[in-house]
Amino acid sequence: MEVLKLAAPETVLVVIALAVLAVDLLALRGQPVSMRFGIGAAVAGLGCAATMLMLLGRHAHANLFDGMLVVDPLTNVVKAAIVLLTLFTVLISTAGKFTEHVGEYLALILLATVGMMFLVSAEDLLMIFISLELLSLSLYVLTAFNKRNIKSAEAALKYFLFGGMAAAFTLFGLSLLYGMSGSTNLHRIAEGLAGKGMDPLLIVAVVTTLIGFGFKVAAVPFHLWAPDAYEGAPTPSAAFIATGSKVASFFILAKIMMIGFAGAEGSAAWRTFISGWMPAMALLAALSMVLGNLTAIAQTSLKRLLAYSAIAHGGYMLLAVMANNEAGMAGLLYYVITYGLATLGAFGVVQVVEDATGNDSIISFTGLSRRAPALSLCLLVFLLSLGGIPPLAGFFGKFFVFSAAVGADGNHLGLLWLVILAIAMSAVSFYYYLRVLKAAYVADGADVTQATNMMAVPVATLAALVLLAFLVVILGCAPALLMGLLQAGDQVGH
Amino acid sequence: MENAQAYLFYVFAALAVICAIMVVANPFSRSPVTSAMFLVLTMGCLAGLFTLLHAFFLAAVQILVYAGAVMVLFLFVIMLLDLKEEQRRQVKSLSLVAGLVSVGAILAIFVRSLIATKPGEGALANVEGSTSKLGKLLFTQYLLPFEIVSVLLLVAMVGVVLLSKKDLK
Repeated sequence: MEVLKLAAPETVLVVIALAVLAVDLLALRGQPVSMRFGIGAAVAGLGCAATMLMLLGRHAHANLFDGMLVVDPLTNVVKAAIVLLTLFTVLISTAGKFTEHVGEYLALILLATVGMMFLVSAEDLLMIFISLELLSLSLYVLTAFNKRNIKSAEAALKYFLFGGMAAAFTLFGLSLLYGMSGSTNLHRIAEGLAGKGMDPLLIVAVVTTLIGFGFKVAAVPFHLWAPDAYEGAPTPSAAFIATGSKVASFFILAKIMMIGFAGAEGSAAWRTFISGWMPAMALLAALSMVLGNLTAIAQTSLKRLLAYSAIAHGGYMLLAVMANNEAGMAGLLYYVITYGLATLGAFGVVQVVEDATGNDSIISFTGLSRRAPALSLCLLVFLLSLGGIPPLAGFFGKFFVFSAAVGADGNHLGLLWLVILAIAMSAVSFYYYLRVLKAAYVADGADVTQATNMMAVPVATLAALVLLAFLVVILGCAPALLMGLLQAGDQVGH
Repeated sequence: MENAQAYLFYVFAALAVICAIMVVANPFSRSPVTSAMFLVLTMGCLAGLFTLLHAFFLAAVQILVYAGAVMVLFLFVIMLLDLKEEQRRQVKSLSLVAGLVSVGAILAIFVRSLIATKPGEGALANVEGSTSKLGKLLFTQYLLPFEIVSVLLLVAMVGVVLLSKKDLK
């Protein structure tokens, strides 16, 4: 019964998901969609809040079934962050008009969260794969939710096919790892691989595993699904794919690389490349940063722009994984959590504007500062944070990641070339973020006519967005609030 | 006895590879039904390999679920969709070269590791294949993945019902 005690937060979420489904299907038939969304979101939100309290209130250290469920302060903080992102996703979807299947929608979001939480707790290949599949399968369905829009179905099919291929690659890599080390536990895999050097088979395992996870975190050149999926999916689903699932995937990718492939790092230092996972990941990171940022400039749809910006941010985060130490891990988590908050907020704003104007092109944001002042102020905070302007959270995320990459022991400034590239590319990213803000704040004369009437902003969404913006500002002004938790957890964990 | 097992292994392995090739590149027939039937044969050979590894439960499940239930569904779908003979697709020479190079590289690495390894060497996995032992494992050490798979199936079920249902408006 220790399982039930340690997996209590996950269990609670599963029960809440079933409850949401049951309440919606049994008691609320025939009610208007907005009311069903309100009641469902209230139940789901209360469940998320309870789960967060449970996660942050416990101090247990446990390792169940040989790494299948690892509970320590660090995983608790990461899980709490994921549940927080889920809570906000639920809040911004309450005003949605994209589906009548409210119960199923909320239940799938909660079940995907359960997948993420198990993923975060896993140090065993079997658990990693199963929870990854639980997460992916829920996300495919969430992408296809808008049945009135053919683009949603197209996006889901693309995401599903790419994701299926990626799962096959991951499985191939993981089975090679198992074959070489005789264990599915990450720590034991590292022991089994130690002293064997860079076996060619190990290289195949590294590359296929990286390909699989590269799809999951949308790193170039495995990013092709992301813009279409973000554009076609209902906006809250896209926000969920871009935030919560990123947190979980990056955490587990870092864990696999840092623990499982310990000893097979190689080196990505300039002019002294040694084969291992570092140079392969350096390639992914560099390509993602360059291609993501440059392609984002050309986008006219804000959702596609956010997709390419997500790809670019994925490149920076890979840099943190390559730091390969505790500072890198803490920096990565700080970055991905604050990025998640800002991106979720940006998608929330897109959702409101999309509902009001019918599309998400940057032109529809013209004069937003006059039509919805509070909304555009939130957008300002989110985009500037994504761009990395101090004193917002995004700046400190970049600061922690870059300093971890530069200061990583044993690299002797070897990753400096990537850090310089990253800084240059984040300068490029200002351009496209500011382009959106220019449309919102500095309207051209020709568009002023349509920009006079006020825009109706749903109360729950506005509250969620203001809260998100507040969090982004607070974490920027006092980064130690989150960083302290992450570092404390990380030190105890090791 | 040892020898007989080794011969059986080679027979099953060779048959599995040949049948698998026939699934995707059958020179005599391009009908999807033929491909599906060859897939059944491949599954059967794999079940034979599992038996040789003493994974009897897995072998039985392979026959019952994959060769039986899944392939029957496959055939139903093919018949319901009334698929015609597959058109031969034009393969771009660039993707052909890229595919051949990567497959060749991986094959070379496999052959190299195979030659480098002596029999009996390498990591040994202690896996039990009999039904009762498997059942015990599933409800002790692998309890958590087992339960998560049930959630996974729930998600799949909800998803399928949702996507296949016609909206009434």
